[in-house]
Amino acid sequence: MKARKVKHIDPDGTLADNAQRVVQVRLDELYDFVPAVLDPKAVKKLHAMRIAAKRLRYVLEVTAKDCFGPYALTASKRVRELQDLLGEVHDCDIQLPRLQKMASGLSAEATAELSRRAGEAVDLDPTLASGLPHSEDWAGLAALEQYLAVRRALLFRRFTDIWQDIERSAMRARLEYAIAERPADGAQAVAADQ
Amino acid sequence: MAKARPIPGLSAELSYSEAAVRTIEVRSAELFEHAAGVLDVGKIEAVHAMRVATRRLRAVLEFYEPCLDREQLRPVLGQVCDLADALGQRRDPDVEILALTQFAAGATDSERPGIERFIERTREQQQQANTELEAILAQIEQDGLRERLAGLIEPPAAEPETVAEPAAGPIGDPAAVQPDDPEQPARGGWLRRR
Repeated sequence: MKARKVKHIDPDGTLADNAQRVVQVRLDELYDFVPAVLDPKAVKKLHAMRIAAKRLRYVLEVTAKDCFGPYALTASKRVRELQDLLGEVHDCDIQLPRLQKMASGLSAEATAELSRRAGEAVDLDPTLASGLPHSEDWAGLAALEQYLAVRRALLFRRFTDIWQDIERSAMRARLEYAIAERPADGAQAVAADQ
Repeated sequence: MAKARPIPGLSAELSYSEAAVRTIEVRSAELFEHAAGVLDVGKIEAVHAMRVATRRLRAVLEFYEPCLDREQLRPVLGQVCDLADALGQRRDPDVEILALTQFAAGATDSERPGIERFIERTREQQQQANTELEAILAQIEQDGLRERLAGLIEPPAAEPETVAEPAAGPIGDPAAVQPDDPEQPARGGWLRRR
């Protein structure tokens, strides 16, 4: 997914004003994936959301502390947590089909060997099916497949829980507020309080 | 994972262009600091550290893109992206092998051969990714990526002295820009050479 172009960037302007525009666009990009990603089968969208989270995270990593209000740092950590979790979901989405492809290749080799053993027979002698190539591999591959499938489901559930928590805590509104703040505003407010 | 080094003097009010110089300088240095030992498949943390440094550098190059010379940036960013991809291709099997080895340790004797077979396949992937990474690292060295990164943020060479045109406005007119006026912002936007 290509990053959206950020308009009204001014190289002669301040870091904070430009960063605010960039963060706003990256934040919108992230939220655009909801509700589509709440479907566990939306593998490509989940991956694209991870990329969007990564882009937002890195902009915040560069700018949150120096340019914005304090919530920007909190949001940066939440986005990182989200990105890491989506990364783990993605790993399962890559690993599982790879495992299935390998198992399918081994199975095809075993089938070919059994067909060779059968030759021109009119029916298949059951004893020919014993000791086929890769027969020692099936138990481990099946266990691993089950593990990856169930782990993916658990990780996806954790993702929806985290997302719900992000929504409940109004991260978007609070981050939008924080990127409009400047650290100096905070310092002045503290001075005024004193 | 190494923490990102703070950028000296970065502040909300700093000009975007000046922030670009300071940030790219630090993130470029970090990238090359983490290059040692990345091709050793026995030390997987080295790849991880360099990958993170590459991601950070890529993020700042993209973030500060409006401040940089587009023609100069394009091949540099392309090479940083290629490096990030190659490091990712190496990192994925590194992590997978680690997780699979832990999984195999908890498996039964009958399950272990299948898991070991999958680990073997993943090791082949790791070796292939390492070969590709080695080629990219050699290319980077040959192309002088470090110098080209420095070139992105280098001030332009001083223009040869020319006979000054008479100022357009009366002396003291703030609209009439004096070439060596110390009050004028010296470097605002000077990175752009489009």
